[in-house]
Amino acid sequence: MALVDFAYHRPASLSEACALGQRLQPDAAFLAGGTDLIPDYQRKRETAHHLIALAAIPELHGIAIDGDVLRIGALSTLAEVASSPLVHGWFPLLAEAAHSVGSRQVRSVATIGGNFCRAVPCADTPPAVLVGDGRVRLMGPDGDRTLAADRFFVGARETALRAGEVMVELRLPVQPAHSGASYQRFARRNGSSLAVAAVAVRITLVRGRITGARIALGAVSPTPRLAVDAAALLEGDAPSEVAFARAAAVCAESASPIDDVRGSIAFRRDLVRVLAQRALTEATDRAQRSSP
Amino acid sequence: MSAELLVHLSVNGIEHAVAVEPQATLLTTLRHDLGLTGTKRGCGTGDCGACTVLVDGDAVNACLMLAAAADGKRITTVEGLAHGELHPLQQAFIHHGALQCGYCTSGALMSAKALIDANPEPATVEIKEALSGNLCRCGTYPRMIRAVAGWRQFAAVASDARPTDTGERDQRRDHDVVGVGVPRVDAADKVTGRAKYTADLRLPGMIVGRLLGSPIAHGLITRIDVSRARALPGVLAVLTGADVPQGWYGVSPAREDEQILATDRVRYVGDEIAAVAAVDEATAERALALIEVEFEELPAVFDAAAAMAPAAPTIHPEHPRYAGNINTRVDWHFGDVEQGFAEADHVREQHFIGNRPYQTPMEPHATVARWEHHSDRLTLWSSTQTPHYLHRSLSRMLGIPMGNIRVIRPAVGGGFGAKAEATPLDFCAAILARMTGRPVLMEYTREEMFRHFRGRHKQHIDLKIGVKRDGTITAVEQRVVLDGGAYTSFGVITAYYAGSMLPTLYRMPHYRYSGLRVYTNLPASGAFRGHGVPQPRFAFESLLDMIAEDLGLDPIELRLINAMSPNTRTVNALDVSSCEFRETLLRARETSGWSEKKGKLPPGRGIGVGCGGFVSGAGYPIYRSDFPHSNAMIRVHEDGTGATLHIAAAEIGQGSDTVLVQIAAETLGVPYDRVWLADCDTVVSPLDLGSYSSRVTLMAGHAVERAAADVMAQLFAVAAGELSCERAALRARGGRIFVADAPATGIDWAQAARIAFARQGPLLGKGSYQPPKGLGGDFKGGAVGTSPAYSFSTAVAEVSVDLETGYVTVDRVTDFSDAGTVINPVTFHGQVEGSIIMGLGETLLEDTLFDASGRLLNPNLHDYLIPTIGETPDIRTVAVESFEPNGPLGAKEIGEGSLLPVLGAIANAVYDACGVRVTELPITPEKILNGLAHGRPMLRAPRPHAAEVATP
Repeated sequence: MALVDFAYHRPASLSEACALGQRLQPDAAFLAGGTDLIPDYQRKRETAHHLIALAAIPELHGIAIDGDVLRIGALSTLAEVASSPLVHGWFPLLAEAAHSVGSRQVRSVATIGGNFCRAVPCADTPPAVLVGDGRVRLMGPDGDRTLAADRFFVGARETALRAGEVMVELRLPVQPAHSGASYQRFARRNGSSLAVAAVAVRITLVRGRITGARIALGAVSPTPRLAVDAAALLEGDAPSEVAFARAAAVCAESASPIDDVRGSIAFRRDLVRVLAQRALTEATDRAQRSSP
Repeated sequence: MSAELLVHLSVNGIEHAVAVEPQATLLTTLRHDLGLTGTKRGCGTGDCGACTVLVDGDAVNACLMLAAAADGKRITTVEGLAHGELHPLQQAFIHHGALQCGYCTSGALMSAKALIDANPEPATVEIKEALSGNLCRCGTYPRMIRAVAGWRQFAAVASDARPTDTGERDQRRDHDVVGVGVPRVDAADKVTGRAKYTADLRLPGMIVGRLLGSPIAHGLITRIDVSRARALPGVLAVLTGADVPQGWYGVSPAREDEQILATDRVRYVGDEIAAVAAVDEATAERALALIEVEFEELPAVFDAAAAMAPAAPTIHPEHPRYAGNINTRVDWHFGDVEQGFAEADHVREQHFIGNRPYQTPMEPHATVARWEHHSDRLTLWSSTQTPHYLHRSLSRMLGIPMGNIRVIRPAVGGGFGAKAEATPLDFCAAILARMTGRPVLMEYTREEMFRHFRGRHKQHIDLKIGVKRDGTITAVEQRVVLDGGAYTSFGVITAYYAGSMLPTLYRMPHYRYSGLRVYTNLPASGAFRGHGVPQPRFAFESLLDMIAEDLGLDPIELRLINAMSPNTRTVNALDVSSCEFRETLLRARETSGWSEKKGKLPPGRGIGVGCGGFVSGAGYPIYRSDFPHSNAMIRVHEDGTGATLHIAAAEIGQGSDTVLVQIAAETLGVPYDRVWLADCDTVVSPLDLGSYSSRVTLMAGHAVERAAADVMAQLFAVAAGELSCERAALRARGGRIFVADAPATGIDWAQAARIAFARQGPLLGKGSYQPPKGLGGDFKGGAVGTSPAYSFSTAVAEVSVDLETGYVTVDRVTDFSDAGTVINPVTFHGQVEGSIIMGLGETLLEDTLFDASGRLLNPNLHDYLIPTIGETPDIRTVAVESFEPNGPLGAKEIGEGSLLPVLGAIANAVYDACGVRVTELPITPEKILNGLAHGRPMLRAPRPHAAEVATP
């Protein structure tokens, strides 16, 4: 399938990219890895006549520790994120989530910024970032701003990005001491497939009690989102199968999945419950291993 | 058009500056601008990996990367792997048989290359991970894993064109070439990207054609205006139904119900209504968008029951014989089932529902047509598995003699039945080439492939089996409603096959079958590997296990009690000759650990058995003809050091060319690498009916053997004169002709051939094969299911079921097959492994789904999921000792029969693992969870036969 005609822009700086984006909106799209955008062009879901390639902008690349924050440039590929020693040391769950995306060929090219900005409901890295308390730094014609990751997602394929605004980086804080995290996803086959449901969990344990719990759901709502009520149930409790089952049931209730070729609403709710239980258990195990 | 960009690419070490349009992908730039056609387009959406190349060392889908985004990068394609010598990975792929149709091979090699560059000794789990984005529908995954794991063995080995035995060998025969795992004849071409598939052809002046499909499922075309499309610069021709030869075509002469382009009625979403030819793909697509079509939309029906309801719209009003949307009706009764059920101690009945899987060959259908106006001749290259039927269809529809048409089959990237008939691509390419005077290339997109379909019929099956207390079957009754889609395709034959093949496996004294194929407003179903039989076989094998449980019998024991014996005429008048079915059951039981495992594995793990078998070639051609079904010629080269085999049998990945060359070499008594293969080209090679009904090894094999014997009769005459002995005393082996009783007395084969050439000119042999006359019973449809020979297979599957999510993992499959003499163990095992993997997909994953308007919901490879390398179970396959008297050198089929046991084996293993009997395919996690939630097997109440519902 041939793509629609578009003009190809290669800005060398962030300010140039933002200015172009603002000037050409709404007939412009930003190109990062393109693994979601190019197929969208093919199926005519994307029709912008201007494509602004971000690859040449230095600020969007690189993974580095910046004080008490790990910054991951938006153009870092998922393969880079999955294999980065910095990510593994700082918040290994993000590496696991990045690794679970698509095939090796896709991860070589797809970027963390694209995984966020395309805002596909079943994207794998956002739930991990949500439980890791990550933030998204954006740069626009009017300067930059930083949003909590959960505020970045507005709807299915909709984000808080304004015209001309570009995601610069993901910022991950130092993870709490004695915490552990888990990402559980269900897909219809082992190799390369989209998540039917996914749950990320971070548990912080102090002296055998849960002092902090964050749970995020993927692929079962228009946006990846935090299951705040379910997490609140766990705070202060000792970890137990019963407590996890209760929280998992609340996760399942709070999901708002759709019926599609990958699974029905009822099946997805079942999956959320099972995956939440598993993620809570694994995250707790991991937290215990790092606990005093 | 946007301004072109200049991009600099370093490809395989050569610097290129290429002017590209901004929307050009790296894939189109490599293929079209640089002519590197080893990189394939399989989907265009990053799902299949056929276009994998290395960009700065990383494996990347070239279809998802803009050429502009690759500016300044270092790119390696499959053409850059070998530097004179083959890369060790390429040698490993050849040696292990890690390729069949070859369409995914270059992509898989590139993913493997990226892996070994980073990790020279990868573990299996790492190989599976690295190659999970490279889909292979032939199912060569187990061999890819071995090849990548063992690539270093070839690092120090100079590549050698001469074949080496892979050491795989199942049977001992006194043969030099047959039975030996020689590499495929096309292996080197496929691992280097040199093999040309239809869409790889580049002819001077070639333009591009595209088809317009209907957006609605059923309606009348009230207006069609192509003037804006015709006026678009770059458009050379536009066709509608009014511009093409009128009339109806179809696979079966009894049911010709398709038009090249719809004239007034469309019958499914995608039904072809117009075609354009333009200078390039983008222009052709823009032209399609400019065609204005208005419809009077009609009510549509999307399942068989709705189509048979009294008020249902008539889908083919032009053909009164299809009133009530009934396309085919079969009523067979052999023996007396009432009596048989009365004799039974136990009768069990169950309703089963099938799915609608698509063959999903990795290569999209493609055609190149060239009209030679000066001679009024047409040359057509097509990715077809039946060049002869295509040839005949073109002649009939275009109104030109077959002698003016040349059909060439280049390399074909898999078919499995999807490419067994002429398509609108073939007809329209020919017509557009004639109109424009330019060669025309037409290809389906992945989505168009799904829409054109011809995949498996969804069958609604009511099956009833009666048995004695000891398990002996007394009667079987099967009623099947087949959802046919909008056209017949192979469907008449499918409706018969669904009934005819059940009695070949188990003895049944009384059998009744009624089949009803119904038109609906969905894409047409056709012939898919195992043609019509997998779903009835799934039902039968499932019901046998249910009966075994009822009776307290071991499932394998129950099968042994009823297993077919050699030299038996079945109740429906099919003649089984060789049959080692019992042996396959016994060996499978013995080696799979059945007795220790069945019913004894922990919760969530299970083991199950399934059986199957198929024809070794249909006993009758699709249209009435007295011609031999397969024909071969062998021409010995003048100096006697080579011979060329001319045969038009269709290699589509299964390895038939290799098998035929082996039979030729064996019979000629020369080494394998002395035999060349002429192109599959109707000008070069005589008629062969093609690759369907698992016919090539047996039928074309016979023709080849006879052609070779014809050569040898002539050579022995020469040699007998030279050696002063009787012709009958002579043998030929290893390139030498000698006296059997005095092997030291002999003559070099090539020298004898030179003498023959000097005396008589070209040394030619010819051979033909016609199945035995009079096969089958004298009843309507008695021809379907006839064959010179039948295969038999038993598979034992072990699965794990996640009891919380319903996810099924197939851990291990053991298969024992009776395929007669194995000509090539590598291709034999490759076929069985591929069947297991394909069967796993259709049992657990695959189904084409439609919305309420008849639009496909999953016409792509990320929503229609086929197995990846990650799904590959631990597979063990064995050929049991067997010799088929009606087969060449004792051989029969393996390609289709080996699929049939898989569905039942997995279904039965799932039941053993979790107590859930899923009777509706595919066996999804959701169905298993529902069954677990209800705490009982997922049985559906028997419901009235749909035909009864429909009778007013």
